[in-house]
Formats: sequence, C-alpha cells, structure tokens
Amino acid sequence: MTTTEAGVYLPEFVELIDESPESMFAMLESRGLGDGLPMVAPTKARVEAMLAHASGESDEVLFTLQPRSGVVTRRVVAINAVMAGCAPEVFPVVLTALRALARPEINLRGVNATTHLVAPMVIVHGEVIRTAGFNSGVGAFGPGNRANATVGRAVRLIMLHVAGAKPGFGDAATHGQPAKYTFCAAENSDATPWESYPMSVGIDSPSAVTVHCGEGPHNVHDAEAAGDPALILDKIASAMTSLAQNNAPISQAEYFIILGPEHAASIAERAMTRRDVSNYLFNTARMPARVFRKHFQELAWANWMKAVADDELLPMTGDAENIRVLVSGGPGKHSLVVPSWGMTRSVTLPLEG
Amino acid sequence: MSVSVYLPDSQPGPTSASLAPSPSSLNGLRIGVLDNGKPNAEVVMIRAAEYLATRTGAIVSVITKKGPLGLSANAAIPLAPDRLELLVAECDIILTGAADCGSCTAYSVHDAIELEKHGKPTVVATTTHFEPVAKTLSTSFGAPETRLLVLPHPIGGTDERTLGAWAEAASDRLIALFTGKR
Repeated sequence: MTTTEAGVYLPEFVELIDESPESMFAMLESRGLGDGLPMVAPTKARVEAMLAHASGESDEVLFTLQPRSGVVTRRVVAINAVMAGCAPEVFPVVLTALRALARPEINLRGVNATTHLVAPMVIVHGEVIRTAGFNSGVGAFGPGNRANATVGRAVRLIMLHVAGAKPGFGDAATHGQPAKYTFCAAENSDATPWESYPMSVGIDSPSAVTVHCGEGPHNVHDAEAAGDPALILDKIASAMTSLAQNNAPISQAEYFIILGPEHAASIAERAMTRRDVSNYLFNTARMPARVFRKHFQELAWANWMKAVADDELLPMTGDAENIRVLVSGGPGKHSLVVPSWGMTRSVTLPLEG
Repeated sequence: MSVSVYLPDSQPGPTSASLAPSPSSLNGLRIGVLDNGKPNAEVVMIRAAEYLATRTGAIVSVITKKGPLGLSANAAIPLAPDRLELLVAECDIILTGAADCGSCTAYSVHDAIELEKHGKPTVVATTTHFEPVAKTLSTSFGAPETRLLVLPHPIGGTDERTLGAWAEAASDRLIALFTGKR
C-alpha cells in the first residue's frame, strides 16, 4: 500500500478519461464509493488549494475513524472536501469537525454502525461564519448555502470512505435519513441573547465547531405565545417527551435545543438565562417512571433515577446540563429539538486546521 | 484529455488481532454467557450454552450482563472491565451477543476480540440479517476470523419455544466454532 513509514499515508491516484460527472460516477461506483450524488473531481491542483488553508503536514496520520479504523490525514480530508464541493475557506471547519468525531466520547464506532438513523450534526461558531460564508440565518439547515451544504457533505463522505460507514456493512441504519447526506448550520450569535454557545461550554476561541450525533431536527411551532416563555418552552418540552427517542432509556443522552431568534428573544425578555431554559425543560419534559419501565427492558439510567418510585415523574434526561441551548435561524416563530442517539456526547473544539 | 484524480478512501489503520487457540475438546470446559441486554439475547444464549454443555461435557459457569457488576447491560458500549476480569478468571470459552442490530454487533465483535486476546475462544451470536455487518466489522477490527454463530432473524420478538429450537440446532455449529473446525 502507500503507507511509506509509520505515521504517514500517501493516497493513490487513478486515471480518468476526463473529469466529467459521468467519469467520476463510473470510477466511484466501480469501487463502491460515493454518496450517490455528483462529485467534483479531486485533482492534485484542487486538493493543494484546499490544503493551503490548513497548517501542518499534509500526509501526517492525525487519527483513525471507527469502525473501519480508516486513517485520516489532512490530504485525505482535502480530497473528500473537494469531492463534496467545498471552497478552500471552509476546510479547517471540516478538519475540526472530524477531530471532534474522533474523540472517544462521540463513540463513533457505535454511531456509524447502529441501526438508528443518527447523523453527526455540525454547528459552526464565531468568526469563520463570516470569513467562510456560512449561513446562520434564514434556512440555516438548508438548502441554498454552499458552505453549510458542503461541510456537512464532506463529513459524510469521510464517514463513507474512511470510517467505513457503508450502508449494509459499517452502517446498519434501518432507514438512514436525509441528514446523512449533509447536516450543518451556523450559530446565530448576533441573535443570541446570551454568551456564545462555545463560551457556555468553556471554549474561548475566535471560531469553534460543535458536533452532536443524533436525530434530525424536530420542529416546534409557537406563534401564539405572545412572548410568554412558558408557552414556548412547554411546546419544546412536548417535542422532547417521547418514548420513541433514545433519550428515554439512556439518561446521559443530550438534547440540542436550537431556538429561533424570535423565541430566544421572547425567553430572554423575561430575564431567563440559557441555564434557566435547560432547567425549565428538565423540569417539564417528564413521564411517570412506570411508563419508562414498562417500555424498556434495559434502562441505561443514572443510579438516582433507578431509585425513583413508579408513580413519580422522571425527566427525559439525567441532568439539566444535557439540555444544550443555542440560537440559529432567521425570522419566524419556530425552534428545533435535536434528540440524541444516546451513547454519545457532543464535542465542541476550537477551530484548528 | 485524461486526468489524474486521488482516491478518497485511504486505508484501514494497522489493527490486527489473533484469535485464541481453539481447544480440541470442550469436555470439562467452563462456558461463560455474556449478555448485552438485547431482547431475548439471554434466552437464546443460555439455552444454546446448556445444549452445548449437555452435548460436550462442558459446564455453564458464568451468566452475566455486560455492565458493571452484571447489574445492567448497554449494547452500544464495550463490556465493563470487571466483567472482562470475571470471564477471564472463571471461563474457558464464551458466548456473547446478541449481535442483531448495528451498534450491538459492533460492540459484540469488539468484546469477543478483547476476550480472544485474553486467550478465551469467544463466539458472537448474530443473525442472518446482520452477518454482513458482523463480518465487515470483524475485518475492520483486525480479526476477520471472529467466530460467528449465525441464527435466524430476529432474536427480539421471537417466542421462547422457537428460540429454544434455534439454540438446540446451533450445537454442531458452536462445537465447530469453539474447536476451530470451521
């Protein structure tokens, strides 16, 4: 193979008759690669342009990704970023998202292999939103913005090509889902009434990236609230309170609550902090312990929850801190709930190429 | 004009693991059953272990869930260190599963390889539908020859009598897997 020495990996080239979508499809399909959509040809020139936006050795093995233990170098990431259609300016965001996915608390072996439809959600924070052209406003989760669309797609291509998350083999997802093609948005810090999300988890950096492995977004519509936080938050709690989510049997599972700017403003006008939102939802999104116990043979619960009597109400997650709150999106009375796969924890890292 | 493009798939890292030596006979050996908590996993594996014991003169010595102290089981994470210690100390061969979903297959194969590294031949109980996933992951984790007992699908939701019949029918295959005569 092309590993010349410990810690270095040099990818191989193939010759195509031209760089048309048809030639790329033919090459990828013959090798069982690709996400099914057309790709940009990863020529040396395009890959070098991508690498110019990273620092460090291009061919140094940075880490491996499970379940295949595929080796990751900056060049391997750049190849896949080119194929996904990324502009070079977003390359450090892709690299940082993958560094996050390689962290043990993500449990990527399980995330990729499971029958659950889990997809990594990438949230971009800070200056890089402006400098690389990410969308944190109207339609932040898409479609229509190249940076958001291609960063999420590049992460998925790395899962398919490097981590081995090939449907039916390293990815057993019963149905899969659209978010497995791309799943990326930016935090709307201008519309955030509190400190930025990374600051709230102790990351003080000009730019950062958060990765959370869970379901697609569940919508919460509250147009009639007249600014009453309880009416907004009760509907969010209603979207969280479900036996169908892995949060129900797994108490370490997080929720990402992505508030629309208008909901965030209504909540903050009543002097509620981010922590107040989490505490309110922790208190409200509950079901009788008996109901959980009836439905699940195995409950991966914090020990205090196991001791609670059948008639008591138990929260949908074991700790209010597991309810993560950030602001994204544009005008409108909508917010999102993103439940977790379960045996995974979100990671926020400073931007690093 | 022809064009050179990079291949995007890199290569698997340098992971390799060798399986434990297989015993020539199971007579007198201690069987462990490691349950990942999947519905009916315990039912079908205990029955299979009991039939195996009757057939071979082995004895079922440990039945445990994979969580700490055996009090719980979470199929989507590795077995608890104290369970590994227990099985290594008190068993000669181990049956684990059920690998009848994605993450549980990943971690059943992972756990089996850990036990094999400790010298304990270990069989993963999977199902027809998840055999391709189990084989892919065995190769990814460096042990393509991981011992797989392929049962009908699904294990969860199938009645106890049918599971018992599957367990009984699996004896020949289990003997072959544990003794390396595959």
